[in-house]
Amino acid sequence: MGEPKDKIGIKEYIAIALFMIGTKTTDDIPSMLFDSLQNAGWIAPIISGILAILPLFLLLHIAANYQDKSLIDIIYHIFGKFLGFLVLFFLWAIGFFYIVLDTATYTDIISTMYFVKTPAILIYATLMGVCAYGAKRGLEQIGSVSWSVLPYLQVSLFLSLILTIGQGNLGFLFPVFGPGEWDVLKESTMKISLYMDFLYLFMLFPFVKSTKDFKKGTWIAFFLILINLSITMVSYVMLFDYKSVMLLNYPYHETIRSISLGFLTNIETLFFPFWLIASFIKFAAYLYINIMLFGKLFKIEHFEYIMPAFATLIVFLGLLPESPTFAIFDLKAMVGNLASPLFFFLPIIMWTLAKFKGDLRK
Amino acid sequence: MFNIIQKMKPKTRTQHGNKMGKKKLAQDVNPNLQKNLDTLKVVYSYPDNTDFLIRELFISGLNKKAAILFISTITDFKLIDEHIIAPLLNNKDENIPIHNIITIQSIENKHTIQDTMKDINSGNAALFIEGEKQAYSVNVANFEGRGIENPENETVVKGPKESFNEKAFTNISLIRKRLKNENLVIENSVVSQRSNNVVYTLYIKDITSEKLLENVRERLNTLDVDAIQNLSLLEQYIEERKYSLFPTVLYTERPDRAVSFLEDGYIVLLMDNSPDSIVLPATFWSFFHTSEDHYLRFMYGNFTRLLRIFALFITIFTSSIYISVVTFHIEMIPPDLLLAIAASREKVPFPAVIEVLLMEVAFELIREAGLRVPSPIGPTIGIVGALILGQAAVEANIVSPIVVIVVALSGLSSFAVGDISMNFTIRILRFGFILAASVFGIYGMTAVFTLGLFYMISLKSFGVPYLSPLTPKYKSSGDTVFRRVLQHETFRPGYVKPKDITKR
Amino acid sequence: MSKLRTTGKIFIIILLVFILSGCMDQTEVDQLAYVVAIGLGKSEEDDNLVKITYIFANPESGTQAGGSGGDEPPQETISFSATDFITSRSLANAVIAKQVTYDLLRLIIVSEDFAKDEDFIRWIYDATKAMEIRRDIRLLVSQEEPSVFVQNNQPKLDTRPHQYFELMFNRGLNTGTVPPSKLNRFFRITEADANLFLSIYATTELNDDTKENKDPDNIAAGEFEFEGETNNTQFAGSAVFKEGIMIDTLTIEETRLAFLLSNVLQQPDEILTSLPDPFTDEHYLTVRIRRESNVDLKMNLDKTKPSILATIPISIEVMTNHGMTDFTDSEKIRQTLEKSFEDTLTEKFDELIKKTQEKYSTEPFGWSLVARKEFLTIPEWESFDWMKTYPNMEIHTDVRVDLEKFGRQTELPSLDEMRD
Repeated sequence: MGEPKDKIGIKEYIAIALFMIGTKTTDDIPSMLFDSLQNAGWIAPIISGILAILPLFLLLHIAANYQDKSLIDIIYHIFGKFLGFLVLFFLWAIGFFYIVLDTATYTDIISTMYFVKTPAILIYATLMGVCAYGAKRGLEQIGSVSWSVLPYLQVSLFLSLILTIGQGNLGFLFPVFGPGEWDVLKESTMKISLYMDFLYLFMLFPFVKSTKDFKKGTWIAFFLILINLSITMVSYVMLFDYKSVMLLNYPYHETIRSISLGFLTNIETLFFPFWLIASFIKFAAYLYINIMLFGKLFKIEHFEYIMPAFATLIVFLGLLPESPTFAIFDLKAMVGNLASPLFFFLPIIMWTLAKFKGDLRK
Repeated sequence: MFNIIQKMKPKTRTQHGNKMGKKKLAQDVNPNLQKNLDTLKVVYSYPDNTDFLIRELFISGLNKKAAILFISTITDFKLIDEHIIAPLLNNKDENIPIHNIITIQSIENKHTIQDTMKDINSGNAALFIEGEKQAYSVNVANFEGRGIENPENETVVKGPKESFNEKAFTNISLIRKRLKNENLVIENSVVSQRSNNVVYTLYIKDITSEKLLENVRERLNTLDVDAIQNLSLLEQYIEERKYSLFPTVLYTERPDRAVSFLEDGYIVLLMDNSPDSIVLPATFWSFFHTSEDHYLRFMYGNFTRLLRIFALFITIFTSSIYISVVTFHIEMIPPDLLLAIAASREKVPFPAVIEVLLMEVAFELIREAGLRVPSPIGPTIGIVGALILGQAAVEANIVSPIVVIVVALSGLSSFAVGDISMNFTIRILRFGFILAASVFGIYGMTAVFTLGLFYMISLKSFGVPYLSPLTPKYKSSGDTVFRRVLQHETFRPGYVKPKDITKR
Repeated sequence: MSKLRTTGKIFIIILLVFILSGCMDQTEVDQLAYVVAIGLGKSEEDDNLVKITYIFANPESGTQAGGSGGDEPPQETISFSATDFITSRSLANAVIAKQVTYDLLRLIIVSEDFAKDEDFIRWIYDATKAMEIRRDIRLLVSQEEPSVFVQNNQPKLDTRPHQYFELMFNRGLNTGTVPPSKLNRFFRITEADANLFLSIYATTELNDDTKENKDPDNIAAGEFEFEGETNNTQFAGSAVFKEGIMIDTLTIEETRLAFLLSNVLQQPDEILTSLPDPFTDEHYLTVRIRRESNVDLKMNLDKTKPSILATIPISIEVMTNHGMTDFTDSEKIRQTLEKSFEDTLTEKFDELIKKTQEKYSTEPFGWSLVARKEFLTIPEWESFDWMKTYPNMEIHTDVRVDLEKFGRQTELPSLDEMRD
C-alpha cells in the first residue's frame, strides 16, 4: 500500500477532519475549558478559533504555493535538511505523545463510564486493535468510512444536543463572561491547541483531489468544528450549571446519562456506539498520519507494516500513568501548553522564511 | 503429504491427458477418409461408446464416399435424416459444392481433427468426404433441457416472470428479446481444458468500459482447470477474495435484471447448464436491491427498500443487542421490560449467550433441513420446528419466551434479503456479532462493526469499490438505499466507467 | 491454506478471550436483586453509620410467562446499618440471595430527621461516585424513619413498587402537589448555593393533631384525612432544603404557588383549587389555574435598594359555581370576578414570598437565574451574594388573570326563580 494511490475527495477530507477534531467535545477537553473558564467555557472555541484563522490562512497560502508538496516536503524545503528534520521530529513526537494520552483518555472514559469491572488493558487493546486495522487499510478507506458514517453520527450528536438543550436552562449561561472578560480572552488564547490537529491534516495535502477542494474543505471543516464545539459546550452548561459542570470529568457522557427520551429513561447506550465509532475512526486517522510522518522521517516506504507495532507500543505507554483520570488530564494540559505556541508561530515562521526565499508569488 | 500431491497434480495431467491430444488431434484433416475415421474411432472408443455413431454413405452425384459422425444423444436425429442424409443420397448433380446440397442454416468448414471434434462434442454432425482436406461441421445440436419457467429465488409480484434456464442459447434469446440492439455483443470463450465449457460474455459495445472488459477477459483466459460445469463454480474461480465473507459477484436468474445491468454498462456472463447469469462487477447495493424495487411505483419501491434495510439490521443486530443489553447494559431497558425479562429468565439454566446461540443454531438447522427435505414433507418441518420446538423449549424452561421472539424476528428478517450470497453473509455475520456482544457488549459489537466497515470499504469487485457510489463518490443515479424517480435516474453508474454516462 | 490457518488461530484466540472474560462486567438479569428505592436514616448507634433500607422489586410478581410464580409478594424490604449505601450492597447479601443492583433505582428516601442533619450532604454525595446511580432519580423526605415508611407503605392495587412510585410522582407533578425533586437538581442547587431545593414530602403516619376546619389545600403530608381501605402513604407538599440541609416543609398550596412563581419548574397540567366567590360570602368557586407564559421578572439590583417586579400571567377556568351568580350576564360581573381573583392570588403570592424572605432568606423559584443575567462575570455575581440580598429586596407581584371558560354549561338556572 504505502502512500495512497487514489486521492480522497472533499467530502472524505471534511469527514476526517471532523472526526479528528470534532470529537474533542466528547472527551475531557470541555472539562479542561470549564475548569478555567467556568460557564464561559463555550466561548473559548470561538475565540481561539478566531485566532487560529491566521495560522490556517498562512498554511493554506504556503501549501497552495508549493503545489503537490505535502507539509513534510515544504518544511524540509523551507528549513533545510537538518532543521527541517528537527521540526518534523518535534511535531511527530508531540503528535505521538498526544495519541498516547488521548487513547488513554478514551480508554478511561470507557472503563469508568461503561465497563467498570473490565481490566483497562482489554479495552485499550480492543480500541487500538480496531484503530490499527483501520489505519493499515489506508487513507482512502479511512476517508470512505468517515464519510459513510458521518451523517449518522452527526444525527446522533444533534439528537443528544436537542434533548439536552430541551431539558436544560438558558439561565445557566449567565453571567456570560464567567471569571471575567480578560480571563476569558487570556485562557482562550492558551487553548489554541484545540485546532493544532489542522497542522497534521496539512500532511494530507497532496492526497486531496485538488488544491481548491483542500482549501474549501479546510474552511468548511474548521467552521463546522468550531460550531460543534461551542454548541455542545453550551448544552453542557445549560444542563448542569457552571458549578456542577466544573466537577464533571467527562461532560458528554454525564449528559447522555442524564437526558431521557420519552419512555426510555436511560439512553446512554443508544449514543455510546455512535461515539465509539467516531473514536475508532478518529484514532485510525491519527495513527495513520502520525505513522506516515514517522515513515517519511525515517524513510520507511511501507510504513503500514509498523502500525501494529506502534499500536502495541501505544497500549503499553498509555497504561503507564496511575489513576489515569487525573494524571492524563494534567499531562494533556501540559502538551497543550507546549503545542499552542507551536501551532501559532510555526506557520508564521514558515511564511516569513518562504517570503524571504522568494518562493511566494502573489 | 498434501503438498506432494498438489505438486504432482499438474504434471500428471500433462503426461496423460494432453499427450494424445498433442500428437494426433492437432493434425489436419486427411484426404483419406478411412484414416480420419480410424483416428476418430480410437478417440471416441468406437464402438464401446454407444451414442457415438458413424453413418457411412455414398454421394452418388459426386461419386465420393462420405461419412457423417455425430453423438446421437445431443443431436436432432430428424434434422440429420432429412437435411443431410437425404439430400446427399438424392444428389444427382456432379459439380455442386457440399454447401449447396445440405439444407441446414449453419455449416462450417473445419480443417483440423481437433476443431471437428470440438464441434462433434457440442452437438454438431461432422461430414467427412473422401479426397477433401476439410470436414463439414453441420449444426444439428439438440441438447435436452427444460423450458422457460418462473424464477424461484427472485420472485416478484409485479413484473416479468421469466427466468433463465440451463440452455445458454435460450438465455441469450431472452436477453436479446429485451435488448434489440446491434451493439449487444456476445463473445464466447472456452474456459476449461477437458470439458470445453464455453462462457458467453455479454456486453454493450458502446457503453461498457474497455478496461473492465479487458479485466474480465483476462481473468477468463487465465483459468487453468479441467472443467467448470456452471456459473456457480465459475464465480468462485474468478472472484478476487476467496475467503471473504462478502460476495463480490452478483448471481441472478432474471433476464430482466441482467438486461438492466447490461444497459448500465456492466458485463453479464452466461454458461450452459446454469439457470442464471453472473453480473460483473457487483457492489453491495446490487445485492441489496431487487428488480421489483424499480417495477413498483416510487413510494412503494422505496417502502420495500426501507423495510429491507430495516430487516438487514434486525437480522444482524437483534440477537446481539439482546445479549449485550441483558448481560452488560441492563440499565437501558425500561423497568417493566427488565423485570419481565428477569422473570422469564429466572428458571432458565443457561446464560443468555448460550440460550440465544442454542435457539439461533436450532433455527439455522430447521432452515437447512427444510431446504433438503423432500418436498411432500416440507411443510411439516416448518410446523415441527416453529411450533413444537419453540413452544416445548419454553415450557421446558430451556429458553425464555423473549429469546424465542428475538431469534424468530432475526430469523424471519433474514429472508427479506433475497440474494442468496448476501443472505449467507448476514447470517454468518450475525454469529460474529453475537460472540462480540457476549465478550464486550455494545463495545464489542461496535468494534466488530467498525472492523467490518473498514473491511467492506476496502473490498473491490473488478476494480469497483464495494460501497460505491455511496463512498467513494461517483457520478451516478444515486441508487443506494433509496431510489429516485425514474425520470431523475439520468446517469449510468460512474464506477463501472461507462463510455456514455448519460441515459437519455 | 496459510490464510485459513491464521483465521483459525484468530478465531481460537477470540474464543479464548470469550471463555476467559466470561465474568467481568457481565451479569445475568435473573441473578440480580433490583433495588427500587434506598432509604437513608440516622443510625441509632454510631454517627459514622447510616441506616439503610432497601425495597427490592420482585420480577416474578404478576407475570405469567414461563410457569408459575404469581404467589410471591411484589416486594421485599430490609433495613440495616452500614457506613454508606455503596458498601451496603455487599452487606445486604447476608440476607439477600442475589447480587444487589441499583440499575432500577428510582428513589432515595431520607428521613426528615436525617435530612435536617448537617452531615446528610456527605452521604448523599456518594450517589455521584457510583456508576449505576443516575442523576435523574428522585429524592423523597419521609416524616418517619425510612424503615418504618417502607414497612407501612403497602399499596393495594399498584403493587409493583417501581410502578407505584412512578405513577404516584407523575400524578403529583401533574396536579402540582409535589415538586419534581430530581437528584441532579439537588446537587446543582446545593453547589450553586443561591436557591432552595424542594423535595417531595411524604409520610405513612397520619397526623392526629390536625387543626379542625383547615382549608383542604393547605396541608402537608400526613394531614390529609381520608377514610377507606387503601394505602396510608401520602405524598403531599414539599420539604425545603437550604445548602443541603432540610429546614422546613411547604404545604400543597405553597408548593403550587412555588410552581406558579417559578420559570424553572415545569408547570403542572392542572391545578384545581377553590377561591372565594366575591358575590357570596359563604361559597367558594372551584377553579382550574394555569400559568399562561413565563413569569416576567423585572429586576433592579442596586446594592442599596434592590427590587423585583414579578408579573404573573394566569388563566383561570371556573369549574363550579355554588353561588349561582350568572357570570354571563354582564362584562362588569366578570371584571369584578377577575379583580377578586387577582387580589386573592396576589395576597397568597406575597405571603409566600414574605415567608421565603423572612424565614428562609432565599427562594425556591429559581429567580437567581434571572438575576444572573444582570451580571457579566461570576466574581461580580458572587460578591452580590443572592442569599444575603434577597431578604432585603422589595418584591412586588402583579397577577394578571385571564378568565377562560365557565364549565361545559355556562348558564345556571336562577335560584331565585326556582325557589319562588
